Amino acid sequence: MKRGEDNVAMTWKSCSVMAVHAQADQTSVGPTVFRGMLACDQCDTLYHYPVVEEGESAVCDVCGAKLLSHTRRGLHRATALSVAALFLFIISNFFPFMTIIAAGRENTVTVMDTIKALWDYNDPILAATVFAFIIAIPLIVCLCQLYILVPLMWGKILPFARVLCRFGQSSVPWSMTEVFFLGVLVSLLKLLALARVEFRVGFWAFAALMVCLTAALTAIDRRELWRLLNPT
Amino acid sequence: MKHEDYPPGTAAARGLAVCHYCLCLQRKENGYCADCGGALHLRKEASVVRTLAYTLAAMVLYIPANILPIMTVSGLGGVEENTIMGGVVTFWQMGSYPVAVIIFTASVLIPILKMVAIIALCRAAVKPCCEPQRMATIYRLTELVGRWSMVDVFVVCILVALVQVGSVMSIAPGPAALSFGGVVILTMIGAHCFDPRLIWDKAQRGSPPAQQKDS
Repeated sequence: MKRGEDNVAMTWKSCSVMAVHAQADQTSVGPTVFRGMLACDQCDTLYHYPVVEEGESAVCDVCGAKLLSHTRRGLHRATALSVAALFLFIISNFFPFMTIIAAGRENTVTVMDTIKALWDYNDPILAATVFAFIIAIPLIVCLCQLYILVPLMWGKILPFARVLCRFGQSSVPWSMTEVFFLGVLVSLLKLLALARVEFRVGFWAFAALMVCLTAALTAIDRRELWRLLNPT
Repeated sequence: MKHEDYPPGTAAARGLAVCHYCLCLQRKENGYCADCGGALHLRKEASVVRTLAYTLAAMVLYIPANILPIMTVSGLGGVEENTIMGGVVTFWQMGSYPVAVIIFTASVLIPILKMVAIIALCRAAVKPCCEPQRMATIYRLTELVGRWSMVDVFVVCILVALVQVGSVMSIAPGPAALSFGGVVILTMIGAHCFDPRLIWDKAQRGSPPAQQKDS
């Protein structure tokens, strides 16, 4: 599809040049929000708001950043995946995560135990940071998504939806479920020589949570979501 | 900087600001986004200074992160303190090359490269140096890859929780874990403060051919 994307972007570039001339005198008297145009968020090039076919995406002609993508039934997929992520979140946090068997002793831990261990070693700041990155922020992101997306399925917008959408989207880089998962794999490699490790329900739920949450966030385009929240 | 000073073809040249949060386009004079309530700026405020400040702080923290032990392993053979580089060397000597490479990439290579990249980006934002397209790619990579350095902190966290086999062996977190977490957080904030549009502003004004092509 890469070639197709390039072609589409090329047509818009010519549109954008038109936009620059046609709108030359209108900016001082125009509407509050210019819904007919968009600017690349990485190089600020002005474009007409493109019409993107389902399954295609628009790329900035100048810097190559993604402007817009029209995902197939994005709203439905994002909602479904967020609901799944919430359930998986509950399972992964309340069920045992892993068991280590070494020297005839067993030690079963949950995700919360890993944080509690840091707390017990008098490292409350580190414990709080890890708690935020792997439990609190993913949960906040997931709940914000649900609060916005579920009512949108029926075309409704609940109060504070826009504030929560803003908050949720700025928290996304700090939700580190997938990084934690890589951490688990690396520590397993470290432990292989020392002990036997068994995966429990929580581990598999966490793996699925990571996939669902990432997929839920990419299922719907950021600009498209804001368009749904601010219908003209 | 007045909006007439921005390169033609950009939103800023017509006094239009892109909301940082909802990416909608509106007049800068509105002050706040009509859709989501975020403050409007043509470019992120004091972007280069803030980015450099966070990066400098990260560099300072990177020193204790490497000198101090990241975890203390106490077992039958006595107490052993591990630094980040020490761990990499141990794994290499043990023959577990993949683990050594993963840890080395995540905790040494990525943070250093990220700090160098941020400084290079700040330089490109102040005066045009090389191709803006290349700098844009570096910016995107920096934003994408930064969070993965947190792996090392999570590894410590998991090992501390799992390896508590009484007197046989136990692992305690060291002070470097916190400083290393600080490095990752500060570089992430630093990269977030950076405004990539500055690179294009400089590049388009610095080279006349690009400007001709644009208008």
